[in-house]
Amino acid sequence: MADEILRVENLHVNVEGTPILKGVNLTINRGEIHAIMGRNGAGKSTLANVVMGHPAYEITQGSIFYQGQPLEELAVFERARAGMFLSFQYPASIPGVQVGTFLKKSVSSVRENPPKGREFRKELTAAMEQLSMDKSFLSRYVNDGFSGGEKKRLEILQMLLLQPNLALLDETDSGLDIDALRIVAQGINQVAQDSACLIITHYQRLLDLVKPDFVHAMIDGVIIRTGGPELALRLEDQGYDWLDVTA
Amino acid sequence: MNYLQMEIPPRSEHLWRYTPWPRIHPSSIDEVPNADTVVFTLKQNDSFEIIEQPKDAHDEIARAFLQSAGGTTNRLVINGDSEPLHINARASGHIAIGHLDLDVRGSAVVFVHISGEPEWVGVHITGKVHPNAQLSFGFINELDSNTKFLRCEDWVVERDAELEHATLSVGGFRCKSDLRSTLNGTGASIRQSVTVNAVGPRHDDEHVEIHHRYGHTNSDLVMNSACSGSSHFIGTGLLTIAENANKSDASQVFRNLLLSEKARAEAIPELEVLADDVSAAHGAASAPVDKNQMHYLMSRGLSPEESQALIVNGFLLNAFSNLTNKHLIEEMRTRLTVHLECELKR
Repeated sequence: MADEILRVENLHVNVEGTPILKGVNLTINRGEIHAIMGRNGAGKSTLANVVMGHPAYEITQGSIFYQGQPLEELAVFERARAGMFLSFQYPASIPGVQVGTFLKKSVSSVRENPPKGREFRKELTAAMEQLSMDKSFLSRYVNDGFSGGEKKRLEILQMLLLQPNLALLDETDSGLDIDALRIVAQGINQVAQDSACLIITHYQRLLDLVKPDFVHAMIDGVIIRTGGPELALRLEDQGYDWLDVTA
Repeated sequence: MNYLQMEIPPRSEHLWRYTPWPRIHPSSIDEVPNADTVVFTLKQNDSFEIIEQPKDAHDEIARAFLQSAGGTTNRLVINGDSEPLHINARASGHIAIGHLDLDVRGSAVVFVHISGEPEWVGVHITGKVHPNAQLSFGFINELDSNTKFLRCEDWVVERDAELEHATLSVGGFRCKSDLRSTLNGTGASIRQSVTVNAVGPRHDDEHVEIHHRYGHTNSDLVMNSACSGSSHFIGTGLLTIAENANKSDASQVFRNLLLSEKARAEAIPELEVLADDVSAAHGAASAPVDKNQMHYLMSRGLSPEESQALIVNGFLLNAFSNLTNKHLIEEMRTRLTVHLECELKR
């Protein structure tokens, strides 16, 4: 039987009174990689943010279940501690807070048996080497003055260390050059083996490296078509007009 | 001028607008009370030279008062390069006053840690950084939370000399600081940071004056405060650039983090620029904790309390980002981090 991680049922979401999601249904099981593609403003990032509990989003109808439990009652930090992870499209910078300090606190908060001292440093070093990140990252302030690519690498580094059950990746491929994309994809594939993964992207190039089991096309707050990897190829080739009955 | 002959400054004066002289005076403003001496001790083997203070040397009321009430001056001359010096300033009794004078002719790192539980403490620090010398100076206020604290400083930075000046103000109930520096020669520079953690009913008024008397001088001031409870922080700056001080470069940034509805903060940088060819910038901002920063940290498993503490810690530490001396940065960071961890456990 499939190990259900995330189930979204008829989800309607408003942002500042404006309806963004208008009835989204989605189920992701452990070991599955799902990709959502859609035009700008279709609601892709809203879905990721509302699943993670961002306070700016108001659920007006429908439900979200994580491992069979309704999510509404869980605060953001409780969702993270339960194994949910969002790689932000635009991660916040926090001047004065060193990356190393932040990672240690985060891992201690999220993982049930967090590695201590030397064990943590060993794990951190291995993950940073995998992502071709220099050790000097650790003394820099979180995302402060980082390039787009550096921010995305830091997001993936966190994902590797936090070992989530559910990874939501919001345009993690944007701002990455080809070499960085390959490195980041390797990290995603590693985490995706034992978790559920939802990738939000505009481009096929990430999906060449991280093979999705399901591809969803979202238009105007609704998933209007679901298919396999071939759907992503067709969207890349033909755009969204052929799907959009209202266009 | 003798203190008792001086007029009480009106609140219309920039310096005394938020903490008028009667609010920081230890008793009745028309008297000079008896005071104990703040005891300065060096952790190293160096010793102070004890010198008498010149009489009626000040025309500024706080300095004149400290001179009238206090005793001798502890003077330290630093020649050549030295290891970081830690000066422990211990205040005791009901009212305590201390005077410290630093004369720096080489490269030095000096820390003054002030602590104690008197009802009132006053300190006057003076210093001269001689031509081509460098001083990194850290002042750490860890006085008891019931103590009123008056602090005056006067620095002269000579030609091609550098002063790095850091303040960590976490102690005292009502604090008033008046920190003045004069860039007194071409090529002189000062990098100054003030970090204030205002908790509970704490009132902290930090006034920083930097005077560019000569051209090709540089100053950089960063003042960060975090205000919680019903605290009130005031940061005022006065930057002057003299008429002939062209090619001077000055920057002042004031940032306040408001952590409760009752906390208040004022950030008032003032510029008086009389030269034409200068670069002078200033900025001030007061805001609550950034919601996006909070959400980001909470999405990484930190509770709201842990997230806010980390943001505040980073915000305050960031005030030291304009400093360059590693000993100074490390000591100030460590002291602040220890203080905030203690605060979190309370």
